[in-house]
Amino acid sequence: MPGANSAAKMTATPVTRVLGVSALAATALMAVLGLIVSPPDVIQGEAVRMLYVHVPSIWIAYGSFALTSTSSVLFLRRSRRRADQGRHYDRLAGSAAEVGVVFTAITLITGMLWGKVTWGTYWQWDARLTTTVLLFVTYLGYLALRRLPAEPTVRSRRAAVMALISFVNVPIVHYSVDWWRTLHQKASLSVGRRPEITGEMYWTLLYSTLAVTILATWLIIHRYRVIRLEELRDEEGLEALIASRLNKDVGSH
Amino acid sequence: MSEVATVVVGWGITFVALATYSTWVVLRGKGIGQELGIGEIEQSDVEKDTSATTDS
Amino acid sequence: MLTEILLVARKDLRVERRAKIALGQVAPLALLILMVFAFALDANTSLLERGAGGLYWLAVLYGGTLLIQRSFDVETDDGNMDALRMSAIGMPSLFLGKALALFVQITVLQLILGPGILLLYNVGVVDWALLFAAAIAGTLAFSVCGVLWGVMSAGLRVRATLLPLLLVPVLAPVLLAGSRAFETALGVRAGAGWTWAGLMFVIAAVHTALGLGAFGFLLEEG
Repeated sequence: MPGANSAAKMTATPVTRVLGVSALAATALMAVLGLIVSPPDVIQGEAVRMLYVHVPSIWIAYGSFALTSTSSVLFLRRSRRRADQGRHYDRLAGSAAEVGVVFTAITLITGMLWGKVTWGTYWQWDARLTTTVLLFVTYLGYLALRRLPAEPTVRSRRAAVMALISFVNVPIVHYSVDWWRTLHQKASLSVGRRPEITGEMYWTLLYSTLAVTILATWLIIHRYRVIRLEELRDEEGLEALIASRLNKDVGSH
Repeated sequence: MSEVATVVVGWGITFVALATYSTWVVLRGKGIGQELGIGEIEQSDVEKDTSATTDS
Repeated sequence: MLTEILLVARKDLRVERRAKIALGQVAPLALLILMVFAFALDANTSLLERGAGGLYWLAVLYGGTLLIQRSFDVETDDGNMDALRMSAIGMPSLFLGKALALFVQITVLQLILGPGILLLYNVGVVDWALLFAAAIAGTLAFSVCGVLWGVMSAGLRVRATLLPLLLVPVLAPVLLAGSRAFETALGVRAGAGWTWAGLMFVIAAVHTALGLGAFGFLLEEG
């Protein structure tokens, strides 16, 4: 089969193999540093170890969503000129959004657990928590839109526009929720007891962010390739369908 | 829940979630690749042909 | 351009006047929602009075979503979308025209819901100007976002479930602002009612700008 060799590269290449192995090693080391080597916090005690998964996760999530928006702009610009162009930006937008949603979910879960031990409650109607949940749901909606059965170009365009509008909407949501929680009532709980991040804790956090970034990069690349394969399969399915129809027509004559 | 238990559960959920998602992505790629017959570099066309004939 | 906008809006409203979906089905349903809230809160008068602003906007959200859905089902049912795309009407006019028609319909819905909360929830108005400003600002934001997300899910088979999922996160700030502004106008909360009303105008303006820029992409085919 011509092109089989290049196509085979789409599920794994030496580069992504190396990246995958580094991601595995990096996260293992992250667990050692975050759970064993780094010291407990003076105020928060052991609970501070949540920091090393919680904070990098939300950074990665923000980064992924920013990548989704950037690729969506590029996709719209490219596909405006010719409808069949810029598909790779569309795939990148989709894979980044999915990885972003996974990390947002992790942020929310670890944040709620962390909140339970430090604030005494899983949930607070705090601006950041509320905004993050709305962000999560927004991008779930984006992924739902991407999954729909529709003509690929139309679907990609709509998804790209949605990604853009959602991105513009993030600050609006954030400031309105922020106003809501600060304009009218005094904060009922003192949330401000943040751990002092210095020394070993600082380096552990920095390292964890690096480890999670490697993992997220690997995930986005692989997800991108899977989206490409899904498109290929759909195209091939369509071609096979047309071919079988044609055969039938020929046979009946 | 104690602080240590919370940390264990939090890290546990994170790692399980990421491992599950990674596995899903890789397996889905492999699955579709095989469906299209382009997944494995090693698998030669000859092999595919023989398997096709034994199937039929 | 203005004539084009009016043309599109008038077309939508004429369709609506014939079918009477907004008045005949959506408005009674929204009133029912107001009743159901009273069931949920055990007809607790003080809770209902304090929550009236928020419950009002929830009812608007529910009814509004149905109206938005309807506004685009009308277009996609008989391939009207293609006709619109072919017509000489510019994309910005199409966007604004549909938004205007939705604005009128949601206003009608609110003219029924407004007296509804005043009578059923036993609330009084202390600031009529704020009440109207907030209602207008909120309706503007609803209709502009509605058109934008309505066209996003138009013509897809699962639009009935997709539209609310896409719409609610975007409208969350509007619901928040509308509820707070109404609470101030209804005298159950001291505070920055006008700031909230202003925020809704800003949201409406931002989404109008986005819609004018993006509507062409959404309607173009392949």
